[in-house]
Amino acid sequence: MKAAIQLFLFVALFFAAWALLDRVDLVGLFRVGDISRENEEKLGELIVESLTAGHREIGDTAVTGMTNAILARLCDANGIGDTTIRLHVVRNSEVNAFALPAGRMIINSGLIDYCRSPEEVAGVVAHEMAHIEHRHVMKKLVKEVGLAMLMAIAGGQSGGDIVRQTARTLSSTAFDRDLERDADTTAVGYMANAGIDPGALAGFLYRLSQEKVDLPGAFEWISTHPKSGDRAADILKSKSGRPFTHRPIADSLRWNAYRELVRDAAAD
Amino acid sequence: MWSLGDFSYRPDDYESEKASNGYLMSVVAVMVGLPFPVVNLAATLFFYMANRRSAYFVRWHCTQALLSQAAMLAMNVPALYWTLSIIFGDDTVTNLYLSYMITVVLFNILEFIATVVAAVQTRRGRHVVWWVFGPLADVMVRG
Repeated sequence: MKAAIQLFLFVALFFAAWALLDRVDLVGLFRVGDISRENEEKLGELIVESLTAGHREIGDTAVTGMTNAILARLCDANGIGDTTIRLHVVRNSEVNAFALPAGRMIINSGLIDYCRSPEEVAGVVAHEMAHIEHRHVMKKLVKEVGLAMLMAIAGGQSGGDIVRQTARTLSSTAFDRDLERDADTTAVGYMANAGIDPGALAGFLYRLSQEKVDLPGAFEWISTHPKSGDRAADILKSKSGRPFTHRPIADSLRWNAYRELVRDAAAD
Repeated sequence: MWSLGDFSYRPDDYESEKASNGYLMSVVAVMVGLPFPVVNLAATLFFYMANRRSAYFVRWHCTQALLSQAAMLAMNVPALYWTLSIIFGDDTVTNLYLSYMITVVLFNILEFIATVVAAVQTRRGRHVVWWVFGPLADVMVRG
């Protein structure tokens, strides 16, 4: 009897201590969020620097205007602060876009050129936004690069090779299948809320999955997003549960002129 | 947290040393086993199995050490699993996680101190009875 009472008190003491400590703002006290935000910011800067050293960023506001307008529309409709995500368009013919730490996102000129409509670009942006908002990027980096190495990079204690390798990890390797599915589902929501047809993302994925067979190597985004045919079907399924009123981003005339502009800027 | 109790007989030097080693086993294993909590339990369990036919004093203290290690394992395994799921999975560092980790660390420190004290006292032939695990050892070990 004595043993049972003491055992009960022991368990109760453990949970009471846990509950009591939980009342203290430990996350704030240890500045968990601040530390990761600072490190993320440095990491994001270094990776963008490393990437744009090889493929120059397009600074022309006529080019970035459209992508930023798409981003702003998605952010506004989904209650995401307009300074949370920063988009960089780079001169690179590979069909690729990827999320980086600290809310940065890279879109290759090759991807814009490949898209048949601004809605397809919006689909890719929404998908990468979901990776950023759900913190998939940092999780992937911690898993594949290691926390200690990331801290060393952020602290400027590692060489350029390591930063380039980290950038390569983000641009050329896939997220876990569950994370990709999560990003797809979230992207469908983001697009529907912004009055953009999520079917555009499904169409883009499906087209890429078909065409990469003929042109392997040029479609980096599809190699980092496997099982795209299945995912396109899943996107269409989740789209059916999300009613929306489609408001076009730009007409085909304006879109084609924009693509020409991107092509010219990329050739500079 | 612990008290010195009366034992039914006065253990000789050999028994005291054996009983003390039961605690030392888990202390040494803590150094080797961190952050794998099961190592401490395995070491203590191994020592317990090797001494289950020993004298009453030795068996009693091996049981008390084993019970404390089992309780620590029950706390440390979720801590390890939770930490790994933050590093490799989708979990994030939350207040609940930090408070759990601090609680577990506090309990581990207390257990470590109690183990060292018990190792020293039993080596002197004294009968150290821990709160919770002492009465449980009484129930489990019959003279």
